[in-house]
Amino acid sequence: MSYEMWAEKYRPKFLKEMVNQKEIVERLKSFVKARNIPHCIFAGPPGTGKTTGALCLAHDLYGEGYREHLMELNASDERGINVVRETVKTFARTRSIGEIPFKIMILDEADNMTRDAQQALRRTMERFTETCRFILICNYSGKIIEPIQSRCAPFRFTYLSREDQHAYLQRVIQKENVKVLDAGLTAIFEVSGGDLRRAVNALQAAASAGKPIDGETVYSVVGRANPADVREMIILAMKGDFVGSRDKLREMILKYGLAGSDIIRQIHIEIFRSDVPERWKIRLADTIGEIDFRLIQGADEEVQLSALLARLTEAGYELKRGV
Amino acid sequence: MYAAWTVKHKPRTLSEVVGNEEAIRELISWINSWNKGVPKKRAAFLYGPPGVGKTVAVEALAYDLKMELVEKNASDYRTAEAVQRFAGLASQYTTLFGGKRVILLDELDGITGTADRGGVRAVIETIKTARFPVVLIANHAYDPRFSTLRRYCLLVEFKKPTIFQVIKRLKKVCASEGIMADERALRLIAERSGRDVRSAINDLQALAQGRSRLTYEDVAWLSERDRKEVIFNVLRTIFYAKDCVEAKRAIDAADVDPDMLFQWVYENIPYQLTDARDLAMAMEALAKADVYRGRIRATQNWKLLRYVLDLMTAGVAMSRRRSKPSGWVPFRFPERIRWLARTKQQRQMQRLIGMKIRRRMHVSSVRAVKEILPYIRVIFEDNAEMAAGIAKWLDLDEGMIGYIAGSKGRAKAIVRNLGS
Repeated sequence: MSYEMWAEKYRPKFLKEMVNQKEIVERLKSFVKARNIPHCIFAGPPGTGKTTGALCLAHDLYGEGYREHLMELNASDERGINVVRETVKTFARTRSIGEIPFKIMILDEADNMTRDAQQALRRTMERFTETCRFILICNYSGKIIEPIQSRCAPFRFTYLSREDQHAYLQRVIQKENVKVLDAGLTAIFEVSGGDLRRAVNALQAAASAGKPIDGETVYSVVGRANPADVREMIILAMKGDFVGSRDKLREMILKYGLAGSDIIRQIHIEIFRSDVPERWKIRLADTIGEIDFRLIQGADEEVQLSALLARLTEAGYELKRGV
Repeated sequence: MYAAWTVKHKPRTLSEVVGNEEAIRELISWINSWNKGVPKKRAAFLYGPPGVGKTVAVEALAYDLKMELVEKNASDYRTAEAVQRFAGLASQYTTLFGGKRVILLDELDGITGTADRGGVRAVIETIKTARFPVVLIANHAYDPRFSTLRRYCLLVEFKKPTIFQVIKRLKKVCASEGIMADERALRLIAERSGRDVRSAINDLQALAQGRSRLTYEDVAWLSERDRKEVIFNVLRTIFYAKDCVEAKRAIDAADVDPDMLFQWVYENIPYQLTDARDLAMAMEALAKADVYRGRIRATQNWKLLRYVLDLMTAGVAMSRRRSKPSGWVPFRFPERIRWLARTKQQRQMQRLIGMKIRRRMHVSSVRAVKEILPYIRVIFEDNAEMAAGIAKWLDLDEGMIGYIAGSKGRAKAIVRNLGS
């Protein structure tokens, strides 16, 4: 077993190594063939190959020295539009040496930029379009302003299918020489839901114990990675102890740094596993979906999830009354 | 049950009263002088800033000397008629059971009239014929309305206690409540109260009730500006408003930061709206307010702020349909902010580790903390060798390794593996 993060070690280097997003990969390959790319928006959920696609594209286009022609910025780390603008300007305005006359700027988590920042970015994109092409990466393209969207070729990434994920994991499993039972693979797919980064992380964490990986190992690893007990939080809420369940929520978010999206995914799974009456499951699914959507749009995780817990408290009350 | 700590921990005897030793000595010798007949000054006028222990001193004194305390405050004697109604108590020769009595007129600042008419005059008349010691209490003795009254009184000034004395008092309360409190935390509470013991104890209760520890960080976030009283008033307006206009007015009434108020409302909804359906509705209103906050951030269009305010005030107020206002429910400090303060170091460490991960793994540091760090943590628990490899690969220092490993033993094992 190797001792670095596998998610990075086995990140595809060339477009031809990517197992999923077939149509997108084909189009990107055609860009490489034409030696030219438009500005792009890669939108889609985490762990579906957006960043990897952009890196592979650059690699295929420029060859081994691709790093010199590429810059990665992360909108949620580089605070303020001025940082982005200055960095982008300095990078974008100098012409690239070599047969391809432009460089590539990857702007990750672009949906975290304010509208003002995006407006400024739009002008930069226009001014330096000859010398620099932008790949904007985001979860949700709706948060990118129209004028930018209309200047970019859109690519919509989707979660990996079970087959694609298995194909990819098999390669890692072979190279790392770990033993994974079928139930283990199924469990990894269930907990990752087609998010490949999460799948590989779960695999590596499960493998680190040094035993053959079955379903139980996977669930226990994911449970430990997400130490607070979502099920207990739900039970507290439905029993009417809203304050207690909100405390649990706080613990998850503030103490363990869990992502709201992870918590809501688990709530969703738990509700359908629970013995809540069937028609209530659907009602609750609607609420969960609404809250999930707000989280994607960048709402406050604790406040939104608390509203969901309050709804569960209400559901528990109604159920007790037999409505 | 909820009891105000200012009442629960009120000193019963003079030995427990903090500060103002000289004033109290003066008061005692004056009271004792009544044993040798009616003294020249039949009343003592205690004055000084709020919360320095004037009333408490008189109550403790009466307790120590086994005297019957007849206590009246402003609402009982605002006018001449009101004073006359109980003036007889002071002019009687003996009490019912033959004991000694002391008459206390508290909050004299609230009285009407002057030496010639109204309440002040009635008080003067009462003093002139008093057969028992009369004690007057006010914040300002030098109010012109009291100029004649002063002549009949022994003036006793109560001063603010020192910071040290306030801290000592807070420590005592903490000890009997079983709270381990940092000296710095108590000092900050004492300082912020402006050496007003009552307000300091109130603050302490709001911050520390139900907890076993109180750290500096727990206290530090409270800014002077968002003083409790102001916020409490706003909250009261919101939670008890009858219509939207009233609820919305809460915001205009006070200079409170909307973000801070949001946290207060968020914290207190479940305690105020106890019916599950009302709770769900109010939390949803607040969550919607949050959605609008997000829209403001995204568009920088501050006109949308009005909808945030609508939802967090009127939206919450109108959710009360079935929850009965069940007596007085105290407002709580936003636990969340306390959590944020308490977990600050942890989050700082997480952020640093997140940056390390980001350098290697093409994700933002925020996402690294949320999505990758949890798995690294599991690996650090299970496999010291792999953990050491990852630590080296990410270039983590020993502090970071210690944080992720979660225990000294594991951290040591990992560090040992670093060399190999």
